[in-house]
Parts: sequence; structure tokens; C-alpha cells
Amino acid sequence: MATRDDVRVITPRSRGRISDVWRFRDLYRSLVARDLAVKYHSSVLGFVWTLLNPLLMLAVLTAVFTHVIKVPIEHYWAFLLSGYFVWNCAQQCLSSATYVLHQHASLRRSAAFPSEILLLSAATAKHVEFAIEIGLTLVVLVIFHHHGVPGSLLVLPVLLALQFILVVGLMSPIAVLSVLFRDVQHALPLLILALFYASPVFYSADLVPESVRGLYMLNPFAGLLSLYHAVLFEGRFPPAGQLGWVAVLSLSICGAGYVIFRRYKSLCVEVA
Amino acid sequence: MLPLVECRNVGKEFRYASGATSLREWFIRTFSGRKVGRAAPTFRLTGFDLSVGRGSTVAIIGANGSGKSTVLRLIAGIYAPSEGEIRTRGRIGAVVELGMGLHPELTGRENIHLYGTILGMGRSEIRARFSEIVEFAEIGDFIHVPIKYYSSGMLSRLAFSIAMASEPDILLLDEALAVGDQAFRERCTARIAERLNGGAAAIIVSHDLDAVRKHASEVIWLEAGRIRMRGEADEVVDAYLATVAGAPPIVDPRGDPQAPDRQREHFAGT
Repeated sequence: MATRDDVRVITPRSRGRISDVWRFRDLYRSLVARDLAVKYHSSVLGFVWTLLNPLLMLAVLTAVFTHVIKVPIEHYWAFLLSGYFVWNCAQQCLSSATYVLHQHASLRRSAAFPSEILLLSAATAKHVEFAIEIGLTLVVLVIFHHHGVPGSLLVLPVLLALQFILVVGLMSPIAVLSVLFRDVQHALPLLILALFYASPVFYSADLVPESVRGLYMLNPFAGLLSLYHAVLFEGRFPPAGQLGWVAVLSLSICGAGYVIFRRYKSLCVEVA
Repeated sequence: MLPLVECRNVGKEFRYASGATSLREWFIRTFSGRKVGRAAPTFRLTGFDLSVGRGSTVAIIGANGSGKSTVLRLIAGIYAPSEGEIRTRGRIGAVVELGMGLHPELTGRENIHLYGTILGMGRSEIRARFSEIVEFAEIGDFIHVPIKYYSSGMLSRLAFSIAMASEPDILLLDEALAVGDQAFRERCTARIAERLNGGAAAIIVSHDLDAVRKHASEVIWLEAGRIRMRGEADEVVDAYLATVAGAPPIVDPRGDPQAPDRQREHFAGT
């Protein structure tokens, strides 16, 4: 909290202290609570709606890819289930990045707090929902697919952390750029759709030809989803190399994204 | 004693793009240096100096669009200055735009937690002051109702109560007292005076020149982003009134492209 003798010097060069993000952690918490509260305030079924959309998609995809186009994966429903919520969460976070700064423009102009908080709280609210979804997924997979609790589930928290870092890293530049250029809002749905096909959501990364696998793995979601498939669907510990690669990729994307965010965030307060 | 707020040669420039920037315009502007569309109007605040010590009140007056609110936002740290340096000591309590920062769908109680944390209060601090805030705002049972059903008076009372409960060292008030009724205004004034006696400093922006005369130890008259005059309250207010009453004002508030707030509102709405 702001201490009494907190001296603050603002010059054209100041971009805010990173420690401010920690100082405003209570704001972060209340924004996450608010995001969830507003979403479920006036709906009777509440969380059921959040589940219904992906469940419907899961049913459609399972039907299509087991009966119409036969994807050579056994227990296809379980495979799909182990990655679909990850994609769903990431996709929602990326779209929310296009409006999160606009949505809070009046908030940001009424008091000084780091804009990072807005991004982090939006991502966190989505990931709270995701955590519940993945919890339900686990229950289903443990009972109907593994008939036991695989030890690989211990890796799950690491995957969640990497996912959060990666998603926030991608959200950062999207958030500031969509304030400065409206084009981003039009381009992003297309990019997300392309990314959906370029990521192993309804097929596994093993089905991608060896010759382009290297290129394919440059897509950070390719690595991340493969890790989820290994841990949740196959119930095996992922190779350390793959885990390391996804970690390196996520952290560098997050770092680069944050540099862009910091560069433009104060301009966004004035324009948004 | 060290001043709580110091501004040294602070400047701020805004450019108002006509509508949304498109990537195409940006490319053309960046790589060919050619102007696309209408030249964007600009607003510029320049050479703003200020020093406010403990217990004192500085008032900023001037026509609409002269940069008063911009100054408050710069001191609050909401905008970054284009030049100069701003130094503040202690917690800032800003009521810059009334009702802003409150969320219409949430109840009064939820908004107290939200707005309190925005102002930098901790959760335990908010809990400790909760009943005090509700009492001062005179919200009563409405505290459990979404604030979209509040009257504007209730909203302003709530926002002000939360801002004061954070016990700010630096008070930034933008026409804050103009909304409430007479009784609430008087209680606000008493509350502010209490903070000032406790060593806080206040910077107020107001069109209520009588209040300015009464409370301000120094008055700064802004005109088109520049300090036109500063000094004793009566002296500056009299000079200001003389120009307003006399011949056509130098800054026309209507046709003025330099009304930053209205422009930005419009921008946000598109």
C-alpha cells in the first residue's frame, strides 16, 4: 500500500515501477472478483453457460472426427477433452485483450494504477474458470479413461503456470496495439482461427509430418498442447526437452510482449 | 518543510486524431512523412510550475479546456508529462471524475472494495473503515443495491467518502463538491479542512469562485494551457472576473478545439 512517505517522481521518461504491480495486488484481487461477479451476477445458470459452449463444441468435434473424418487416435473424446479447454481459455484471453483497456478506460483515467493490473486480472479471471474446467476434466478422465490417478498429474501446475505466462505475453502487445490501431480487432479473429488449425487441438502433433515438425513447434501452442496431451491423456511424464522448449518460448514471448506493453501503456491511457 | 507536490516546468501535449487511427494511415505517416486527412488538433500545457506545502490549498481556475483537469491528472500520475518533472510525497486521493471508477452493475458494498483498492487502500484498511464510509455517504440500505440505481448525488457522496477514507496526504478535487446538496457540501468542506489541519495539501479545480476565494491560499489562472496569472486568491479571482465580464473572452469555450475531455469522451465512444 502507498506508504505515507512515498516519494514519487514523474518525468516524461518514467514508465512506472514494476513494484507498483505488487503494491496494487489488492486491486488485482478485487478486479478478478469483480470480473467473475459481473459475469455471474444476473444469470441463473451461471457457470453452466461457461461450460455449455465448450461442451457443445467438444460433442460436435468428437462426432465429426470419429465418424466423418476419422482421426487415427484411440479414445478420441478423451484426447479432445485433455486439450480443448486449454485452447478455449487461451482463445478467450486473446480476444479479451482487444477490449480490456477500452473497457477500463474510465477506471484508468480516474486514478493512477499500473495498467498491467487490468491485463493480469482479465487473464486471471479466465484462468480461474479454466481451473474449474480442468478440475472437472480430471475427474472425468480419472474415472472413465485412466481408471486410476496417473502420477503425471504432478506436472499439471507447471503447465498451468506456463500457459498463464504465454497467454499474458501474447495479450500484452494485443492490448496496447488494439487501442492504437482498430485493425487489430478485425485481424485477431482471423489469426485465432488460423492458430486453431495450426495447433494440435483436434489432432495430435504426432500426425504432423516429420519434415515440418520443427517449424510447427515454433507455434507455442503446439508445444503446450502436446504437453497437456502427454500429461492428461496419455498419463505419462513429458520429455524434459519439450517442457524446456515450451518454457523458453513462453518466457521469451512474455518478455517481448511486456516490453511492447510498457512502451505504449501510458499513451493508451490518453487514447483509449 | 518539504512541499507535498512540486511541479517543475511541466508540459503536456495531446494530439487528437480524427477518429480511429488505421494501420494504413500510420504507415503512410511514418514512412512518407505525408499528412493524411485533416491535421489533428492539439492541446498543449506548458511551463506549469507549482509547489504546495502541508496544510495549504491551491485552486486552479480558468475557462473550459484551459488544462485544469489535465494538471490534476498529471499530478495524480494518470497521465505522463511530455516535459518537466512532478514530485509528490504521500498518498494521493483524487476525485478527478466523479463516479468514475465505480462499476454500475456492482452493489455499493462491492464498489467500496473496488474503488478503495484503486485508490491504493489495503483490504483490511477498507474493512476497518467500511462503516465510516457508508455512514458519511448516507447510503443506508442502498449499500446492497447495484449503483446503477443510485442518484447522481448518492454516487458523488459514495465516491467522495471512499476517497476521504483513504486519508490522502494530497487531495485532488475536480469540481467534486458541485454535485452534492448543501448539507453534504458543508460536511465535505469540514472533512477537507480536517485533513488539511492534519498536514495534507489540496489542489482544487473549481468554477465556484466564491469557494475559491474562501479556501485557497494561492490561485492559479490557466488560459489555453499556460499560466496567465498566479497569486493571492482575491487578486487573481478579481482579475479573472474582469476579463470574463469584459470584452469577448480570449479563449472561446464553444468553438475551441482544445477541449480535451469532450474530445476524448467522443473518442472513447467510437
